[in-house]
Amino acid sequence: MPGGASPSGIMLLAHDDLAVYKARRYKDLSFMSRSATSSPGFGLRLRRRFLASEALRGFSLLSPTLLAMVFGLAMPLLVLFTLSFWLQDYVDFIKTFSWKNYADFFDKPIYGMILFKSIKISGMVTLATVLLAYPMAYFIAFRIKTNKLVWLILITVPFWTSYLLRVFAWKLMLGYNGVVNSGLKSIGLISEPLEFLLYNPTAVTITLAHAWAAFAILPIYVSLEKIDRSLLEAARDLGENAFMTFVRVTLPLSLPGVIAASLLVFIPTVGDYVTPSLVGGPSGIMIGNIIQSMFGKAFNWPLGAAISVMVMFTITAMVCAFLWGTHQFRRRVA
Amino acid sequence: MKELKKEDVVEQLATGQMSRRQFNQSLMALGATMVMMPMGSRSAFAGSDDHPTVFTWEGWDVPELHQPYLAKHGESPNMAIFGDEEEAFAKMRAGFKVDLTQPCTYKVPIWKDAGILEPIDTSRLSTWDDIIPSLKTIPGTYEGNNQYFFPTDWGLTSVLYRADLAPEYVDNESWGLLWDPKYKGRLSMADSLIDGVMVAAIYIGAKDPFNMTDDEMAKTRAALKEQLPLMRYYWTSPADIEQALASGELVATSAWNSSYAALKKEGLDVRYTSPKEGAMTWVCGFCLMSDHDPAKLDRIYDYLDAYASVESGVFALTEYGYGHGNIHAFAKVEQDSPGLLKELGYSVDVNETLNAGIFQAPMGNEPALQAMFEEVKAGM
Repeated sequence: MPGGASPSGIMLLAHDDLAVYKARRYKDLSFMSRSATSSPGFGLRLRRRFLASEALRGFSLLSPTLLAMVFGLAMPLLVLFTLSFWLQDYVDFIKTFSWKNYADFFDKPIYGMILFKSIKISGMVTLATVLLAYPMAYFIAFRIKTNKLVWLILITVPFWTSYLLRVFAWKLMLGYNGVVNSGLKSIGLISEPLEFLLYNPTAVTITLAHAWAAFAILPIYVSLEKIDRSLLEAARDLGENAFMTFVRVTLPLSLPGVIAASLLVFIPTVGDYVTPSLVGGPSGIMIGNIIQSMFGKAFNWPLGAAISVMVMFTITAMVCAFLWGTHQFRRRVA
Repeated sequence: MKELKKEDVVEQLATGQMSRRQFNQSLMALGATMVMMPMGSRSAFAGSDDHPTVFTWEGWDVPELHQPYLAKHGESPNMAIFGDEEEAFAKMRAGFKVDLTQPCTYKVPIWKDAGILEPIDTSRLSTWDDIIPSLKTIPGTYEGNNQYFFPTDWGLTSVLYRADLAPEYVDNESWGLLWDPKYKGRLSMADSLIDGVMVAAIYIGAKDPFNMTDDEMAKTRAALKEQLPLMRYYWTSPADIEQALASGELVATSAWNSSYAALKKEGLDVRYTSPKEGAMTWVCGFCLMSDHDPAKLDRIYDYLDAYASVESGVFALTEYGYGHGNIHAFAKVEQDSPGLLKELGYSVDVNETLNAGIFQAPMGNEPALQAMFEEVKAGM
């Protein structure tokens, strides 16, 4: 066999293994059938039990994900929660239960104020993202007849670059000698570069809205795509104009996508700290920057943990309120 | 067994002729080949296991700063980079094992108290006697005969400004430039306690900026609040301020020597001040971590000697504009390129430069300072 000695060797080995495996399996089967005639063995009973219970089979199918969730999400959360009741003493933790970190959170106005500011910024980001994403998703879902996949891929093209790169791109756009300033300067509208473009909450809002756009377009597109077109025709046949058809049929039916998009954008952006630290300047810092500083420079992990827990609670409360609000809206409109 | 040719496999796959067994066999062969593959080239990675791991600042990891080590061992040690010491500390506490770190003096006491440092055996260092003596006795870096810190780098924190944009400060250099409302929105300061908040403390004339009284704390806070609306941003990376100064976005900022050296090379009309309130002097160097690998100790000391060598010092001075621990490096630079030291802001007598500045020291009540700084930055 020219030139193929080693791969075929491996294949031969595999072949041998297969033979051994078959022989073993045969033996197993004979063993099982023998024991089944007398009293069922423990292994067999377990197997029967397993096959009979749908829930058990379901859980075993879920188990890799479930394990990943327990180790990757539930356990760290538990650690964070525990940590938030400890205290920092120079380089050590005082591991006795204490409410002091939470008391600090409410006593010092800085944390509440910055959390409020973060929610405001994220709210603006979510609003801007959804408002900009909706027409785009609508266009693809209703106006594009062929090659929809190509359009969807085209939308994700800007997101093939790294998140950081996109933030830096905005720094170049809005910067002192950036695209906007030099453009305005060259057409003679301004003589000195505008300084208010960068390093403030507006810059953070613009950058985040761009960075998270894809996360809004896709869910909205999916929910628009699912709408039964005959419903729209029926609405028009029954005398609604195009605008009212959109308000009373398309919008309520696409709400699940809008809700998913809003949550997908709002929740992660509240805690973002990279964007504010790059384009935010002193006035654009968000709660994520405070938490990062607690786990870094300020070296007060328990307080950082307590702030994180409070942020989680606040976001959960806000999401619940939001879901309740959209539910009410749907009931009233539809 | 029948030998499969590539074309056959493709054709069989395409026409659906390949049996499942054949397909599985091919997959198994592929898998086995993949598993075996790295074995042949494993020797290529062998080197990195023998070298110590050095955890340091960006820029101090370059081979030019440890040429003798490279010559002796053929390879650089493993380098890991941190953005600041707090990040490094957090990573090491979370279990990152390194042999050497390169913090600055004000962090040595807290690291020592955290139990992560081990004394350095200075008798194993051939360069120990070449180190500037006043750097060896900085409070907090040693305890009795135990030396926890090998000083190799130093420099200044001072005001760097565009002399063409703020000419009135040329003969009146002061930290006050960073509080001048005339340059509102075009000033910056380091986003740090030691290089930022301490500047404000010096500006208000605190007697001991590193251990302030309550009254001085309040004054510092007021000064920082006054300064906030004037700030473009607080900088975290020298690259930020270098670009901004070059474009004219910033007129003045607090900075380290390297930014001055970099901008001077670009031919900009920048000045690195000797403020009348005093510049700050920082000293950084190596610490031996307590969980270092004892088998690598020889190489660890080789690396320290290489870093503290005269040639490394010449590179640090001429390329970065930073001071070096090895006193002979200064004489060498002066001998090779007369006048360069003065241009970089150093006296030919190094001690003169060192004594002119305020030595950075561990800050008392750091958590309160940090909380105060966060509040000021949040506009409170």
